[in-house]
Amino acid sequence: MTFNLRLITKIIPLGLLFTALSGCNPSTDDSVLSEGIVYCSEGAPSSFNPQLITDGTTIDATSKQLYNRLIDFNNTNLQRIPALAKSWHVTRNGKLITFYLRRDVSFHRTDYFSPTRTMNADDVIFSFNRILDPNNPFYQSVAGKFPFFQSVNFHDLVDSIEKIDDYTVRFKLNRADSTFLSNLATPFAVILSEEYAQQLVAENDPQTLGKLDSLPVGTGPFKFKQYRNNSFIRYAKHDNYWRQDVEIEKLIYNITPSNTGRLTKLLTHECDVISFPIAADEIKSRPDLALEEVTSFNVAFFAFNAQKPPFDNPTVRKAIAHAVDKKSIMKAVYADHAEIAQSLLPQASWAFTDEVTTFEYSVEKAKQLLANAGLSAGFSFDLWAMPLQRDYNPNALKMAKLIKADLAAIGVEVNIITWEWSTFLRKLARGEHQSVLIGWTADHPDPDNFFSPLLSCSAMETGRNRAFWCHDEFDQLLAKALASNDIDERKSLYLQAQNILVEQMPLLPIAHSKRAQAKVVGVSGDILAPFGGISFENINKTNGEN
Amino acid sequence: MAREHTYLEEEFPSPILQLWHTFKKTPVAIIGLSCYLFLVFLAVFGQFITPHSAVEIGDSLLIPPAWSDEGNLSYLLGTDDLGRDMLSRLIHGTSLTFGLSFLVVIIALVIGVVIGSISALSRGVKASFLTHFLDVILSIPSLLLAIIIVAILGPGLENILWALALVSIPQFVHVTRIAIKEEQKKGYVLIPILDGASELRVLITSIYPNIIDKIIIQATLAQSAAILDIAALGFLGLGAPIPMPEWGSMLATSLDLFYIAPWTSYFPGLAILFSVIVTNLVGEGLRHSLKTQKES
Amino acid sequence: MLNFTLRRLNLLFFTLLMLTIVSFSLSYLFPGEVITNLSGQKTPNAEQLQQLNELYQMDSSIIHQYFAYLGQLFNGNFGISMSSQVPVSTELLTYLPSTIELCISALFIAMIIGIPLGFVAAIWHNKPADKVILAFAMIGYSIPAFWLALILILIFSITLSWLPSSGQLNLLFEIEHVTGFKFIDILLSDNVNKMSAINDAIRHIILPAMTVAVAPMTLFIRLARTSMLDVLDSNYIKAAKAKGLSQAAIIYHHGIRNSLVTIVRQMGLYFANLVTIAMIVEVIFDWQGAGSWLIDSIFQRDYTAIQGGLIALAIFTFVINIFADFIYAALNPLERNRKHGA
Repeated sequence: MTFNLRLITKIIPLGLLFTALSGCNPSTDDSVLSEGIVYCSEGAPSSFNPQLITDGTTIDATSKQLYNRLIDFNNTNLQRIPALAKSWHVTRNGKLITFYLRRDVSFHRTDYFSPTRTMNADDVIFSFNRILDPNNPFYQSVAGKFPFFQSVNFHDLVDSIEKIDDYTVRFKLNRADSTFLSNLATPFAVILSEEYAQQLVAENDPQTLGKLDSLPVGTGPFKFKQYRNNSFIRYAKHDNYWRQDVEIEKLIYNITPSNTGRLTKLLTHECDVISFPIAADEIKSRPDLALEEVTSFNVAFFAFNAQKPPFDNPTVRKAIAHAVDKKSIMKAVYADHAEIAQSLLPQASWAFTDEVTTFEYSVEKAKQLLANAGLSAGFSFDLWAMPLQRDYNPNALKMAKLIKADLAAIGVEVNIITWEWSTFLRKLARGEHQSVLIGWTADHPDPDNFFSPLLSCSAMETGRNRAFWCHDEFDQLLAKALASNDIDERKSLYLQAQNILVEQMPLLPIAHSKRAQAKVVGVSGDILAPFGGISFENINKTNGEN
Repeated sequence: MAREHTYLEEEFPSPILQLWHTFKKTPVAIIGLSCYLFLVFLAVFGQFITPHSAVEIGDSLLIPPAWSDEGNLSYLLGTDDLGRDMLSRLIHGTSLTFGLSFLVVIIALVIGVVIGSISALSRGVKASFLTHFLDVILSIPSLLLAIIIVAILGPGLENILWALALVSIPQFVHVTRIAIKEEQKKGYVLIPILDGASELRVLITSIYPNIIDKIIIQATLAQSAAILDIAALGFLGLGAPIPMPEWGSMLATSLDLFYIAPWTSYFPGLAILFSVIVTNLVGEGLRHSLKTQKES
Repeated sequence: MLNFTLRRLNLLFFTLLMLTIVSFSLSYLFPGEVITNLSGQKTPNAEQLQQLNELYQMDSSIIHQYFAYLGQLFNGNFGISMSSQVPVSTELLTYLPSTIELCISALFIAMIIGIPLGFVAAIWHNKPADKVILAFAMIGYSIPAFWLALILILIFSITLSWLPSSGQLNLLFEIEHVTGFKFIDILLSDNVNKMSAINDAIRHIILPAMTVAVAPMTLFIRLARTSMLDVLDSNYIKAAKAKGLSQAAIIYHHGIRNSLVTIVRQMGLYFANLVTIAMIVEVIFDWQGAGSWLIDSIFQRDYTAIQGGLIALAIFTFVINIFADFIYAALNPLERNRKHGA
């Protein structure tokens, strides 16, 4: 203690002198500062293995940095493209899917693991068997909790996984499912190292099995170096990355939950990139900073409970929908960081088409429809607004107030109701609401994910169908689209389904909000993607910026 | 001139009155005291004189203070992101931050003086135990202790009141004990004892009037610390519940607006600074007068 | 001196006793299972539970439990943190040095600025310089640390871009954790440019240390001013003056040394306060110290960590207290023979 005290009291005056001499000049020409990127993230990851989680923060921190998947999504058109699997083949009945793997993929070499071989079929089989096989020790080490895979019924879908040869793997499915390939391209379906898993098993201590998910080994562009709980993550460049040469040496996640804290660090250039920036105008006004955004796969909507009058009448639902001015909502609630929803599907989805009948804002039409429904004298109803911020809706209460004002113009009175979030969800699932402002973030970019979970009859039973609207023809269209692998056929099926929605108006899609991030101008490359979390794979940092 | 008194009586005002006489000669102290009384007034009646509601959400969001170009005279200090009038919130907050600190000090003072007196009158093991105990409590950072108590009780105004009162008690015990010990050494205390008065009686009739000035000075110190602690707890999100306009929590919630609406952060900070300075000015004035008295 | 040392050790012993009792009883006061609060094992299986019960003697009387707990503490077992499931002692070793670093730097800044200012005020007693310094001291004493921190960040980080606003070192510097003291670790490391790392570390410590330093600085100003005034007023100084010594010589030979004695004493007593301020400042500046770690633990209801942090911070302030007492005694022989508790 005494020793340290003395040392410090000696060092500090020296240091002060040094600063005084060097002046308060922030630019030191130190290469350390220019060869790495500091990313200020909004939260700490809950694991280092995305198989185990569903939250966006963890996906951002791990999925595309540490790992690869068999298939990826193309960032511009969201079509599936090869990744660890250089190609694949689906049989005509859709039940056998064969993947041909790349041969040049090496795993991370770290302090705790030295790979002796490149990736092969064993790694792929292990990565999925861990999720499917209750006897796998790594299934047991996390008590079989794989929330994403459970939600898509992966266990029922996959019958077995077979190794054809060292670089060929075949999945045998119990039934055809056109979302299966999309599911394998989600950020959750990462490929782990079977050799590392063997090494952990060999240590023969149940405690060490958890290291598979806390001291990660993957094939991604960066390897794990250090994690300080709730403080920072340190990644280093993966020298033998298969896809390309990674430009930056180090990648650091500086965990900064406070919105102002992140902005401050960006303004002082302590962070090169920050997530979810506030004060967009301030950032835009600075020449040294840049703001970028991407439409993400979500939708905010206004759902009418079709079980309760007067919303059991589609005409009333359409009348209300005509009276909502989405443009003013866009401005006041989203500050224009969103696009107006034409339908449930965001424009980035491949099934999006502007052939869907549009539904315009028109007080006249709304009044006309109300009169048709025999409600020209107006009525009053309850509108539930969720109590907290979600990525698809930053302020549901504010939105509810705007809608209230809009509907007053057609003589309809709105009572805004809100509950504490867990109560809100519980009551909502029971269908106690008359109408609600809520939304949905897609699990994967397949268009089905915007329809089945939200409006199918089976979703009504679980209460996730907030409109409690069940339509046989609509359901059949969805089932048909799911069984088909022909994109054009699916597109036309989804178009028909969407036209039913316009006719029936169980819910009014309002907005697809954008995800924003801010960075210093020296950082180039695409970090944001519309789906599946951020990636630093293609990022470069111009020298002289720090 | 007719004499009212037959005998020339030299009047000896009570120590507290003497203190007042010297005190009012320092202008800075008087300014401090008037500001202090103003704050007390706001703490008591503030809720009735606010121009707008302090918690209800309004329509005009983020209006800058009246003196800026986009300002609005009916919102003198502007509004926050929910359209609440800053001035009203600050006035209302006086009763929370400043008023609460006042209560904290009163509770701590009463309990502290009682324990201090007991400890001053007791001797031997008991006294030694008490001193040691006090040393330990005083070595734990007060805010840390308060935070831990709040962690046990859960956040909330009432819990903060008790937590801060509890952590301020040891200082009062300490001051009271030392002051009583000092007085006991003085000659005048001997007289009633020789007259056969009980120790307790001596304490109440003779000693207390002579140490009350020291206790009041300690009270001002404790209050300025209490204001800072309440604000700090509020700032850390362990204080008053969210819609309440406690200055510290106002400052914390305003952080997200720091770059958009800086006035929402400046004013609560200035309010805290003002009330602590005022309290310290009063304390400083008292201490100064006490010193001049002793010297004269 | 031996007597003095014994008395201090006695006090230390008593403090530890009290602290551990408080900390132990917290396990009962906090919500949840006592054994969970003590050990931090959130979901122990039956086997682990039995092991823990044995370790902490949960089946015997509360006195036994306390001594079992004490035994664990002396073995360095503070339990494991409920939120990170890492031993609390490891976390303390990670975070406490940063807090010490911050506090010591702040104390140092407070002294090198505060004491001379106090002397200046005393020498020009009742002159404008005195008044300005006193007003500054009053404001510094009253300003809420968290607000001051924000203002400093606004001025020096954002507006002027001179100093960074958070952290201890740019994270791109990879410094291995050896002692936990950043400056020492930098000197021990061999994979970075030491000069630029040290430079970076200093730029990071200036703002937080200044913020923490303001309050103690005002204390030093007052103390230095008062004691210098006392000294200048004392008879031996008058004698020295009569002897024909110059004012500067008097201040240099007598004033400064005698004032420092009182200041050292008060510094020890004030340290608890300084740690409190440091805790809040750590939160604002993202300083990875025991204070921000402790506040984080409170938010996460990590009771094991709260207990460990309480013990560590209290012992830290107490050790500094005693340390200051020893320096004081060394400088001032009168103190050594003073009766305790008087």
